[in-house]
Amino acid sequence: MVINRRYFLRRAWKACTAFLGGAAVWTSWEMLKARDVAAGGKITLGNPVDYKDGTATYVREGRLWVVNAGGHLRALSQKCPHLGCRVPFCDSSGRFECPCHGSVFNIGGEYIQGPTPRGMDGYALSVEGDALVVDTGSVITGPENSVQNFDSTAKGPSCAAGG
Amino acid sequence: MTELLPSEPDAEERDALQPAATPGPRSRRDRIRQGEAWRSVFRHPNLDTPRGRALQSFSNVFLHVYPVKVPARVLRMRYSFRLGFIATVLFSILVSTGVYLMFFYTPSVTSAYGDMQKLRTGVGFGQLMRNVHRWSAHLMVLVVVLHLIRVFYAGAYKRPRQFNWVLGMGLFAITLGFSFTGYLLPWDQLSYWAVTVGTNLVNYVPFIGTLLRDLLIGGEQIGQITLLRFYALHVAVLPVALCVLLMVHIWRVRKDGFAVHRGGVGAFAATDAPANATSSPEPVMALTKDHTRSRLLGVVDREVETAEERPVDDTVFTWPHMLVRHVVVALGTAAVVIALGVAFAAPLRGVANPDSTPEPAKAPWYFVGLQEMLSHFDPLVAGILLPAGVLLVLTFLPYIDRNPATEARNRKVAIVAFSIILIIAVVATVVGLAFRGPGWKFITPWNHSYIEM
Repeated sequence: MVINRRYFLRRAWKACTAFLGGAAVWTSWEMLKARDVAAGGKITLGNPVDYKDGTATYVREGRLWVVNAGGHLRALSQKCPHLGCRVPFCDSSGRFECPCHGSVFNIGGEYIQGPTPRGMDGYALSVEGDALVVDTGSVITGPENSVQNFDSTAKGPSCAAGG
Repeated sequence: MTELLPSEPDAEERDALQPAATPGPRSRRDRIRQGEAWRSVFRHPNLDTPRGRALQSFSNVFLHVYPVKVPARVLRMRYSFRLGFIATVLFSILVSTGVYLMFFYTPSVTSAYGDMQKLRTGVGFGQLMRNVHRWSAHLMVLVVVLHLIRVFYAGAYKRPRQFNWVLGMGLFAITLGFSFTGYLLPWDQLSYWAVTVGTNLVNYVPFIGTLLRDLLIGGEQIGQITLLRFYALHVAVLPVALCVLLMVHIWRVRKDGFAVHRGGVGAFAATDAPANATSSPEPVMALTKDHTRSRLLGVVDREVETAEERPVDDTVFTWPHMLVRHVVVALGTAAVVIALGVAFAAPLRGVANPDSTPEPAKAPWYFVGLQEMLSHFDPLVAGILLPAGVLLVLTFLPYIDRNPATEARNRKVAIVAFSIILIIAVVATVVGLAFRGPGWKFITPWNHSYIEM
């Protein structure tokens, strides 16, 4: 194969164009990729004994719930794994009930009903000294819908307004 | 169109073409029209003869969008229902109202909502402008979908228009992108949560879903970055993309002869021995191969696939026949959106609040069908396989459905399949839109409606 001038130029401009295209894609990606603005940090939540059994406490700073499910403390993201709505805790039924599409979770964040693909995501909780600390940087993907470690029975009427 | 098309008249010829000077003093209008300035702008005499009308088209840059003559049947409303044209008109209305809105809007989470309120109360016709913008946007999505449906049932995506259908699907996607990005800009509860739900649908794309979503909204949650991103897409990226695609789309409509021959095989085969062509469309091409014809600017090769040769000239001049109809339809479209804008105000709920989800949170109406499906089936099926499959098949439909027939009785499979999907989509959208209340529970819309556009 003889590389003459014509052959070289024909390849060269294609290579240059491909190079420019690659550079454009890389530039776009670097400029437009998601910024880690919400990069998690640690939030100190106070004494663990303040979280009574069967309660869910909203932590506005971290947009999360701290629940006490039968003695187990958990930090649950308020974001529904289905389509990202904020999931409120219903005090009367003792469950999480998503207003958007009707997903219901038990107090431990496990699936009860609705279109959600999994249970509520959570965050790592630890005790430092006598204070509870949640690390919003370390997300624990919600349990599969078959997992049932906590009580799922409704304690009372549901909060979702009926039809 | 076998006759030679007229060429540009030279100066002497032009004078000869002028209507004979009426006796008596020339009116001021005549003097202006025969003056140098007028004639430098409008290069042709305004003659109401076939030649004059043709010249009018040739010498007007804007009329180049149209062919000089179109088949007479194109003039009938029920031929195409003018849906593509109406969509284009709506787009122009959206551009003009959108520019007005840009003068009063800052894409910032701290001021966007306030700007909307100011537009409502502090700007003359501000509310109307926003209403018209919103109604035109909704109507444009609707009309584009109807256009797609119409083209499908007419079989107008078949040879030689296969690629124009693909372009049309691109325009459809851009239209949805327009509507979706615009949805967020008012930064109220409705827009915030509709876009939250809408962007979270992307999460269900396998492997790259989260990446795509993050790229779209620029972070973990919808915020300032998302607003700016959607704004830039809405006012700069998408308009340019739509204009370019639309230009090619319309250019191809014109080049492909503007009209499908109903009942023929393939697009123009009605005159080319249909019995033959049913088995193979090749003879059509063979007939026109190596064919050349005279054009305005000389002799060019006839494009094999866009060729049309009609034994009887059933064409009429675009100007005025087609143009008058288009002007009337454009005025009617404008009247409809202005009437809607006067009658129904675009909603503006409370300022966007990430800590409070309204009940129910619905995606924009054209995605509600998808949301409805997601509440019934596995997300992988309802969220991805089904819509992506339908979209993919639809986009490449002209290359999948190789049946050259355009009449309904010879393409039953395609029509039945399309109709089933269409019915499912319409039912899912209507149920999701009107029959779903808080907690996505089934409700009856005549008792309490949760429809918000």
